[in-house]
Amino acid sequence: MLTIQEKAAAAVNCRRAVLDSGLTVLCRTMPDYSTVHAMFATAFGSTTRDFVWNGRPVHLPAGTAHFLEHKMFESEQGDAFEQFARTGASANAFTSWDYTCYLFSATDRIDENLDILLDMVNHPWFTRETIAKEQGIIGQEIKMYDDSPDWRLTTEALRCLYATDPVREDIAGTVESIATLTPELLYTCTDAFYRPGNMVLTVAGNITLEQAVEACRRAGLDRPQKPCSITMPLQVENGPIPRRQTQLAMPVNRPCFALAYREQPIAHGDVRRATLCDIVTELVCGGLTDLYRKLYDEGLVNPEFSGDCLATRTACAVLFTGESLQPRLVADLLRQEIARLRREGVDPRLFTLVKNEMYGELLAVLEGVENAATQLTGAWLKGCTLEDQITTLAALTPADADEALQTMLLPENEAYVQIDPVPGAPEAGE
Amino acid sequence: MQRRQLAPGVFLTTLDAEKFNRCRIAIHLRYPARRESATDAAVLALVLERGYAGCPDMTALSRRLAALYGADLGVDLGSAGTDRILSADICGIKEQFALAGEHLADAYADIVFGTIFDPYLVDGVFDAEAVAIEKQTMQRRFAAEFNDKRLYCVHQARRRFYGDSPAGIELNGYPERLDAVTPESLKAEYDRILAAASIDVMVQGADAGRVADRLLEKLSAIHRAPAPVSEPLCIPATPVQHFSEEIPGLTQAKLCMLFTRGTTEDLPSIHLLRMAMGIYGGSATSRLFRNVREKQSLCYYCGSSAVRSTGVMVVDSGVEPGLEEKAEAAIRRELENLCREPVSAEELEQCRLGILSSMDAVGDSLGALESWYYSAILRGDDLITPEQGKALTRAVTAEQVQQLLQSYHLSVCYAVTAGKEAAPC
Repeated sequence: MLTIQEKAAAAVNCRRAVLDSGLTVLCRTMPDYSTVHAMFATAFGSTTRDFVWNGRPVHLPAGTAHFLEHKMFESEQGDAFEQFARTGASANAFTSWDYTCYLFSATDRIDENLDILLDMVNHPWFTRETIAKEQGIIGQEIKMYDDSPDWRLTTEALRCLYATDPVREDIAGTVESIATLTPELLYTCTDAFYRPGNMVLTVAGNITLEQAVEACRRAGLDRPQKPCSITMPLQVENGPIPRRQTQLAMPVNRPCFALAYREQPIAHGDVRRATLCDIVTELVCGGLTDLYRKLYDEGLVNPEFSGDCLATRTACAVLFTGESLQPRLVADLLRQEIARLRREGVDPRLFTLVKNEMYGELLAVLEGVENAATQLTGAWLKGCTLEDQITTLAALTPADADEALQTMLLPENEAYVQIDPVPGAPEAGE
Repeated sequence: MQRRQLAPGVFLTTLDAEKFNRCRIAIHLRYPARRESATDAAVLALVLERGYAGCPDMTALSRRLAALYGADLGVDLGSAGTDRILSADICGIKEQFALAGEHLADAYADIVFGTIFDPYLVDGVFDAEAVAIEKQTMQRRFAAEFNDKRLYCVHQARRRFYGDSPAGIELNGYPERLDAVTPESLKAEYDRILAAASIDVMVQGADAGRVADRLLEKLSAIHRAPAPVSEPLCIPATPVQHFSEEIPGLTQAKLCMLFTRGTTEDLPSIHLLRMAMGIYGGSATSRLFRNVREKQSLCYYCGSSAVRSTGVMVVDSGVEPGLEEKAEAAIRRELENLCREPVSAEELEQCRLGILSSMDAVGDSLGALESWYYSAILRGDDLITPEQGKALTRAVTAEQVQQLLQSYHLSVCYAVTAGKEAAPC
């Protein structure tokens, strides 16, 4: 009889190597697949704003990590998109609060594509002219997100919960903040955070670990690196919530709302607490709960109404977001349900169903090359493995959720955000 | 891949799914759209997804799916030209991964066929409470369109483009007809769909024989007269019409341009269409992405897509307010350049490589595999493997791409920006 750890390891089937440079390489070989999905990620995201690099304090304007992501596709030799296009690969990149990731999907010329990816990220090239050009494109991207009510809810909720934590700033920054970027500052960031020891290369699909490691060797990413010193402040915001509520107007035709809770940050590698945050959120208002059913049937929320937990190195928040003609009533019902669960405990049968569902989702993730690589990378960046996530999930009990609820979703850590339609927008139902 | 006919207008296709952890069963009902019952059909899909006679309660069904290790059930309404496709699909882990040795595939088939063939009825019609709730959901969906300005702009352009044509029947129906949707009207639309639809069941990783037996058992109780599939229908080319709608508080303007081929003759192959879109605006190496977005920084996004059966091509973009005219001119100029001279061999090959790569990847996803074959069924094409599709894609020439792009004429240009009401300008 296999233990749960052995079952998890068999299901995940991920091999790993840590090179002399400090770079971690993860590989899930999927032999009958045609595609390879590769992700090269650094633990450097929008919330990295202040650090001390070899004794020198550095302050970054908001949006630096995201700006860097855009610029990494350019080199003196041209555009990396063009190089990927010549091999038939599809390439992209994204920036989150905590990390930046460069990726490609390809079915052919995998070694060549790995070389392009590793070379592109390993050899940054910035000039004042190319920076100026990118400021226009990113300015457009910032405006696109400004028009998204979902995104505005998230950023406004984080601004309520945090007075100083960098998570309150938009990932892309502002038109003004990115206008101050210089090549020198961007090179400082790549020197500090695009070091192999701060990065992970994850590959999934029709590829072996040896193939990925060999690509790292060709790129010179296997060699030991010069020692360097980098320190980052770990300032966790406590005390009263800076703003308990905020209300704004946008061109929407029914109100949108967020009920947000500031939580204690999840320590690097604390997979148990991260899993509990997800489970508890589902138990409050996930699709299996009676509360969701009531809100849906009474037309109080849109079908997409849900709860999510987001976490960075220094911040953690649970956000319940949706659209409603009676947003304050929905917020009250959520508060009542949280209080009831804290008082009476979670339904053990529902708890098991939520666990079952999450187990099925983890298996589903492993079936696709892109999802598998994404989850493996995400787990590494959080300081754990997918196997850890499966075994931790299996071990959780309703009592764990009950205990977590005593310190989570507390009224004193709550904020409320509401977006109202601007005058002139079509009314709901019109 | 194996496709066989089980009854008039009923087919079952089996696809290999050996390497996947999960299995999937999908049923598609293709039927002619009608403007007068389009809203009923849209609400019907929502009501069917709530539950069926064997498990009428929505929450109980969600919990049943969770107990089946988080199986996914979806009911959707889609379109193929002037036809509609009512689909139900279920995807869940294979039996060998079940922790208690359950017969999962049988349970999946029961749920997905129950959803389509055994709806929960009260006195012979749909449950009034469920219908009332899902009418509210549909009302919210109508309203939500406005919140996503990109989609809103495309829909507004589409409405101007299609006018009263059957090709323009709204997939979600019409807000003004929602009040007329009743449990009875829903049942009438359901009966019409069940009788008239051509039915395709796609099975991946489950026992196709058992699935076929269950399907035939369900069909035995229904009187059916499948309708022929609709013919392609194109909107004729007209002089360009410009529309502008101003919305206070908008930060980024949206621009949607609709082009038509104007004829259903010489429908391009899907392989040629993919190549043409890849070159013009359907990829990160396309002219629109490289020139309009990257070089001119006019748009944050700017892409093209096309529908073969209706001969329409859509270009949508997010534009700096005030630069709409400049963006439109740039988008038109890129098309004119491609119409004037064929693309270079290098550009063609780059585009082709990307498309061939995506065809190689089809076999790596249950959903993509199913979509590959069912799309071919919808087009009435021979069922070829992705490998055979690659050979046809390799045969596409620069001249064919040029000729196809030359056949598109701009008809409607719709801009959404900050300020007053929609008006022709």
